[in-house]
Amino acid sequence: MVQRFIVKRVLIALLQLIGISLVVFFVIRGLGADPVARIVGMNATAEAVQQAKETLGLHESQMQQLANYLGIFRTTTREGIIQGSLGESWVTGSPIFEEVTRFLPITLELITYALLIAFLLALPLGMSSGTRPGGAADKFTFVWGLFAGSQPEFWWGLMFVFVFFFVFQDFGLPSAPAPLGRINPLLTAPDPITGFIMIDSLLRGRFDVWIDAGKHLMLPVFTLVFVVSGPIVKLVRQNMQRVLRSDYILYARSAGLPNKKVARYALRAALAPAMTLTAIIYGFLLGGAVPVELIYSLGGIGEYSIRSILNLDFPAIQGTVLVIAMVSLLIYLAIDILHAFLDPRITF
Amino acid sequence: MVALEKEASGSSSRYILEARDITVRFPIVEGPDVYAVKNFNLAVKPGEFIGLMGEPGCGKSTAAMSFLGLVRPPGVIDQGTVEFMGRNILTMGEEEVRQLRGRDIGMIVQNPRYSLHPMMRVGDQIANVYRAHNDVSKKEAWAHAVEMLRMVGINDPERRVKAYAHELSSGMAQRVLIAIALSSRPKLLIADEPTSGLDVTIQAQFLDQMWDSCRQTNSAVVLVTQDLGIVANYCDRVVIVHEGTVVEDADVFTFFKSPQHGYSRRILELQREAQAAGEAVLGKIDPKASPILDVQDLSKLFPIRGSESKVHAVEHADFELRPGECLGLVGESGSGKTTIGRCVLRLVEPTQGKIVFQGKNLADLQSSEFRKFRGDLQIVFQDPLDSLNPRWTVHQVLTEPLKLHTNLSEAEREDRITELLKLVGLEPSMRFALPREMSAGRQQRTSIARAIASNPDFIVLDEPTSALTPETTAEIIQLLMDLSAKLGIAYLFISHDLTTVKYICHRVVVLYLGQIVEVGTKDQVFNRPRHPYSRALLASHLFPDTANRRVDREVRESLKGEIPSPITENLPKGCYLYGRCPAQLDKCRDMPQELAQLDDGRSVRCWRVAQGDLPEEPLPH
Amino acid sequence: MNENVNPPGHTPTPEDIDQHIEPHMVVETVPTKRRQIDLWRKFKEEKLFAFGVIIVFLSVFLAVLGPTISPYDPNFATGRVSVPPLTDPGNGEPVHWFGTDNSGLDIFSRTISAPRTDLSIALTAALFSMFLGTVIGLLCGFFRNIITEIIMRISDLLQAFPVFITAMILVALSGRSTWNIIIALTIVYMPIFIRLTRAEVLGQMPRGYVEAARAVGNSEMIVAFRHVLPNSLVPSLIQLSTTVGFAILLTSGLSFVGAGVRPPTPEWGLMIALGAPQIILGEWWQSIFPGVAISLTIFGYAAVGHGLEEDYR
Repeated sequence: MVQRFIVKRVLIALLQLIGISLVVFFVIRGLGADPVARIVGMNATAEAVQQAKETLGLHESQMQQLANYLGIFRTTTREGIIQGSLGESWVTGSPIFEEVTRFLPITLELITYALLIAFLLALPLGMSSGTRPGGAADKFTFVWGLFAGSQPEFWWGLMFVFVFFFVFQDFGLPSAPAPLGRINPLLTAPDPITGFIMIDSLLRGRFDVWIDAGKHLMLPVFTLVFVVSGPIVKLVRQNMQRVLRSDYILYARSAGLPNKKVARYALRAALAPAMTLTAIIYGFLLGGAVPVELIYSLGGIGEYSIRSILNLDFPAIQGTVLVIAMVSLLIYLAIDILHAFLDPRITF
Repeated sequence: MVALEKEASGSSSRYILEARDITVRFPIVEGPDVYAVKNFNLAVKPGEFIGLMGEPGCGKSTAAMSFLGLVRPPGVIDQGTVEFMGRNILTMGEEEVRQLRGRDIGMIVQNPRYSLHPMMRVGDQIANVYRAHNDVSKKEAWAHAVEMLRMVGINDPERRVKAYAHELSSGMAQRVLIAIALSSRPKLLIADEPTSGLDVTIQAQFLDQMWDSCRQTNSAVVLVTQDLGIVANYCDRVVIVHEGTVVEDADVFTFFKSPQHGYSRRILELQREAQAAGEAVLGKIDPKASPILDVQDLSKLFPIRGSESKVHAVEHADFELRPGECLGLVGESGSGKTTIGRCVLRLVEPTQGKIVFQGKNLADLQSSEFRKFRGDLQIVFQDPLDSLNPRWTVHQVLTEPLKLHTNLSEAEREDRITELLKLVGLEPSMRFALPREMSAGRQQRTSIARAIASNPDFIVLDEPTSALTPETTAEIIQLLMDLSAKLGIAYLFISHDLTTVKYICHRVVVLYLGQIVEVGTKDQVFNRPRHPYSRALLASHLFPDTANRRVDREVRESLKGEIPSPITENLPKGCYLYGRCPAQLDKCRDMPQELAQLDDGRSVRCWRVAQGDLPEEPLPH
Repeated sequence: MNENVNPPGHTPTPEDIDQHIEPHMVVETVPTKRRQIDLWRKFKEEKLFAFGVIIVFLSVFLAVLGPTISPYDPNFATGRVSVPPLTDPGNGEPVHWFGTDNSGLDIFSRTISAPRTDLSIALTAALFSMFLGTVIGLLCGFFRNIITEIIMRISDLLQAFPVFITAMILVALSGRSTWNIIIALTIVYMPIFIRLTRAEVLGQMPRGYVEAARAVGNSEMIVAFRHVLPNSLVPSLIQLSTTVGFAILLTSGLSFVGAGVRPPTPEWGLMIALGAPQIILGEWWQSIFPGVAISLTIFGYAAVGHGLEEDYR
């Protein structure tokens, strides 16, 4: 059962990925941007333009370009997706796959910590407001859920930098480090194993880097927690209140179950939707954390994608969109399996 | 426990539960508080069966729940005492009441599937309650859960104990609740409409089971219901609740003979009037007139997505209707009665068959062609609120059919609407009301007005009264009979409620699993049913009559097991009743049954009846 | 009373009451002009909702009149560079309430002129996506066939795209004009409305009134548009308010990362981006005012959306 479900979902995801790569391929070519002019400049000679076109493979028909990109009926020696290559960047010349795998873990690390913390914060807050409607926690979570549901995270990030870096420093308080990367530029980062710097530095025994990276991650993670905890808190609160009014909780009470047991019944029912929402936000943040990455100069996948877009680096754009879509589809799959495990009503 | 019993032997020892002067208030943000229960008094003797009756919203459920010291939020119990074996539940410590609940007072509620936790095995839920009151290990509690399921008559309890609520039928889920409620052998059982939503034969099985179990343990029962049939057949005492207070408290026989309070008298009287109105129309039909509607070999199979098998909703149905006649279509869930009604109007496209209306086969018409006939064939739906567009006023609802099927001018349309409102007994002031601003009775009247607006010759009545209170039901039945007498409309009356069918139908068709099992006149089917299913159905139906109480019968005729879902692979090969039938022989298993006409004019689908094996006899008393 | 099922101090909402009060307590009322009266009463009694409504009106007001009533031309440098808030130039010219930025533009004038860009983009895009999404969603929910199935798959595919990056691609590659941003936002937000409407339509389809509308003799199109559509609009209308908020966020976010409107257009995200490098130098005022403006605006729209949701659910 479970295997069949997973196989089916993976197949659907593959179809979706194919659809996404086709759509991206044609859309970026159909929007009228001219990457050749961007690369050779406006005043280049016709020969220079032609030569650039040939190096980039743009002299071919669009269908042939697609074939080269996919790696079937190739007219070049370059490998395509089928061969496991996402192509090379037009700007840096290095393989896209390598660049993406370098930048992606940075973003993953940032949003994983942020969402873990947000989820762990949201649970007790949402629960206490659910069990004591009208109490202080309830009023706070209500307003918080509404307010932080959508806030300009890029602006809040700046404000946090201003307060915790500039103002704190001004008053001689222990302040956050300058928002200029993942670690102090004077330190050398450990060789990546997982790509998560907090984990790598531990594995390599570099505690100095661990502490420094922690300090650097503090504000960006806090910024994200600030904006994403809102919807999660709101959902846990709503669910808790709905569940506590449900017939089965009333029945559990009327059957004389102790309060602790009743609370466990309620939590069980309220947990699953909150998890699903967290996963959806995770998928959203993969591409949506760009502004926060920019503010703290973290150099994640979001920053890479915006650089590619502004440089009209088509292979890089295709590659990032594909990889981000793939990661989010994987996350959704994982959460669906977990959900089905928690809730027997969901059939595979 | 010892202390409890000592106290209980005091002055109030005659009663196991004594509720005095209870008032439950629901605070409302804008506007005055609402009192759901006001100065409510009730005393329950050990082993007694009490029927707590009243219309929906009269506060009977709230009152019953307050006996446990519980109220749905945001309600508050303002005053009163609930003495259980001499001790006031409302002033007891929290832990003490908790122990009392589920151990000494058990509870069963309506919509059982929502009252079980959706994500936990039912075995765990039974075991949790058992462990809350008894000092046993997890393993022992689990074994006890299996035992309890066996006791309440669930087949294969070792497997069912691992099931989740959504995997159970409502009948099964209701049994799980009774297993939870009885697991610690309570002295009092509160059952809040435990059989609403259950089929007639399943309801009888369940109530018999509950009656037997409680008599065994000498538990008292407070049965909250609005079904006069249940009260008449099972209860010792009737307590009528009206607007939050007890207005009548009487022995069941006395109550049905001479109800005291105005409200009680009105329900019983209306029922008699409806019966009289029905009888006034009956007998006016010319049996030789050519049928207005002739349905031949009608079948409907619904495909199931991603599967070869199909839902056999209707199989080879044949029946006819004469002008002005009322034909009853009765059966339980899965019988296909609703699908037949939809097919006749082509709201669902039939898989095969002819629908000959006034000599023309409607089944062959293009849908745009058929639309022109819609003015002649109409329908009244089950749920009155649901079947009216929530954003449309009565006026808009009635204008639509007039615009589509008549050439009336605007002024004429206004006159017609006024006339229609008068016909169905709606005040002229209701013209601009929205559905949700009207009572259910008025909503159903609007629905009926819409159906008769285009002067149809034939109306499908799809359970028109099953969402209504007994009082409104009687009123609507009366209205329908009046309209039939005035306008000569033929009805196809679809219902699971045999009481209403008995009032108004000339002939009755009994359906089981998509097949017609018996067709006959009302007298034939109701007094001397022949098919084993018809017999069990009628024996299980609880008529509001204390003369022949089910609990007093020597043989309680009933069917075994549950109704199978009508999917290809679930259906028995031979007779569809095989496995549940009291008269089955081995031969029945593989022998498909044909509908055969008997000498007295009725048709029965059972070879043993056709052969004369099962002689005609009245239902046992 | 010993029972704590009913926690003390909980003021019940109308929703609670609906769910738990038995029917006879709901008194039949005579139909009146209920809708307008309810909204007005809601405005008077619910502070958060009232706050939201004020914000919505203020934002629309500024979108129409902002550039006209601003003390300085939002696109014209004053020559006084990076002066802090409340600086009086002393030459009879208006006070710089919010200071000026490092090219000498008056921040107050720009902050109140920005809604013309932000709001017109966000509102137009939200309305477009609601209109298209509702119609497509209705058709896809009402008529279940191969064509609508394909449309739904395409809509699913659109939803699998990372929102922010998709918007960036669409805008940056097609030229950073206002209309291109509107089109990009419409494409990005349309699937939500398709989903919402379709789900609502699917929920309405088994309702009795739909079958009744057929039984009366209406054609399928009439049933869909006259009966089902008006009853399926509520989720979209609620979502509209939220979407306007999100669209403002995305518009300003795009300009913040350099993929939105071009400088020196008065636009909140752009203003924050231009002020960002100055923050570390202590010139907080360049970024703080447009940020507060975005923050409050989005909160206001969310509050209105939430208020409506509670009422109509």
